[in-house]
Amino acid sequence: MSRTIMAVDDSPSMRMLLRAALSDLGYQVVEAEDGIHALEKLQVAAPDLLITDINMPRMDGFGLIAEVRSQGLRGLPILVLTTESSDEKKQRARDAGATGWIVKPFHPDKLAAAIRRVLH
Amino acid sequence: MSGPIRHDGMRRVTVAQGETRVSDEPEVVLTTVLGSCVAVCFYDPVVRVGGINHYLLADGTGSDQTSMQRYGVYAMEVLINAMLSMGAARHRLKARIYGGAKMRVGFRDIGSANIAFAREFLRAERIPVVGEDVGGSIARRVEFRAALGLARCRGVDNVVSIPVTRPIARPAVVSSGDVEFF
Repeated sequence: MSRTIMAVDDSPSMRMLLRAALSDLGYQVVEAEDGIHALEKLQVAAPDLLITDINMPRMDGFGLIAEVRSQGLRGLPILVLTTESSDEKKQRARDAGATGWIVKPFHPDKLAAAIRRVLH
Repeated sequence: MSGPIRHDGMRRVTVAQGETRVSDEPEVVLTTVLGSCVAVCFYDPVVRVGGINHYLLADGTGSDQTSMQRYGVYAMEVLINAMLSMGAARHRLKARIYGGAKMRVGFRDIGSANIAFAREFLRAERIPVVGEDVGGSIARRVEFRAALGLARCRGVDNVVSIPVTRPIARPAVVSSGDVEFF
């Protein structure tokens, strides 16, 4: 049975790229366009991994990670996928409870390796 | 934003290939020269912030389509995020597209691929295109007064700095795809 990954990004173009890459790797994909949308979908979906952007309207990636952790989903791996690379923002993500940090533009092989590492 | 102040009171800031610049300073002119490359200008008329990028996705040596799209989306996202960090709102953005000329007869028309990417990206992101000057076979100079949303584009001859024979395949990315686990 294939694993499910929730991809959270406010850019439809980025979501399309992620869906294509993740589907090619054999994963089921659930999309959300910001943190609030992701939280709504998490009430009915049970992904094995969450991949989220940082800069998003309504609720950004930091807020989403904190909310997910506060709801008791401690075992859900969360990978941040962002154009940001500052140490300060990495630290914020780490403090919020992120599992890892990937810098865009993602390389498919590196993304696949990161997913395997947290899922298997 | 750095750059010498000229006699006309304007401060010109050059935007090189792979770079992104945003500004809300009325005296700043963001300027770039384009051959096959494309520059997309964004403007938010409410907060009066503008920005421009300068990208070349295809290098004529067989870059695959998906790889092109990944770097193109990245180039756009960097610009959009820079705009948002200065108070712009995504739903207020208006775009202009410049460049994408075919600079060498007989070579693959990489300018068209760059134009097509910009149009498709902006359509998917629902960002309206309010102007464009693209294609053809001449280089262009774009001057963008970002804080006013005023762009001027004109053809240029004998520009030696345009990367037509040895283009960089992608925007400059220091740590593309790097993964760090916490």
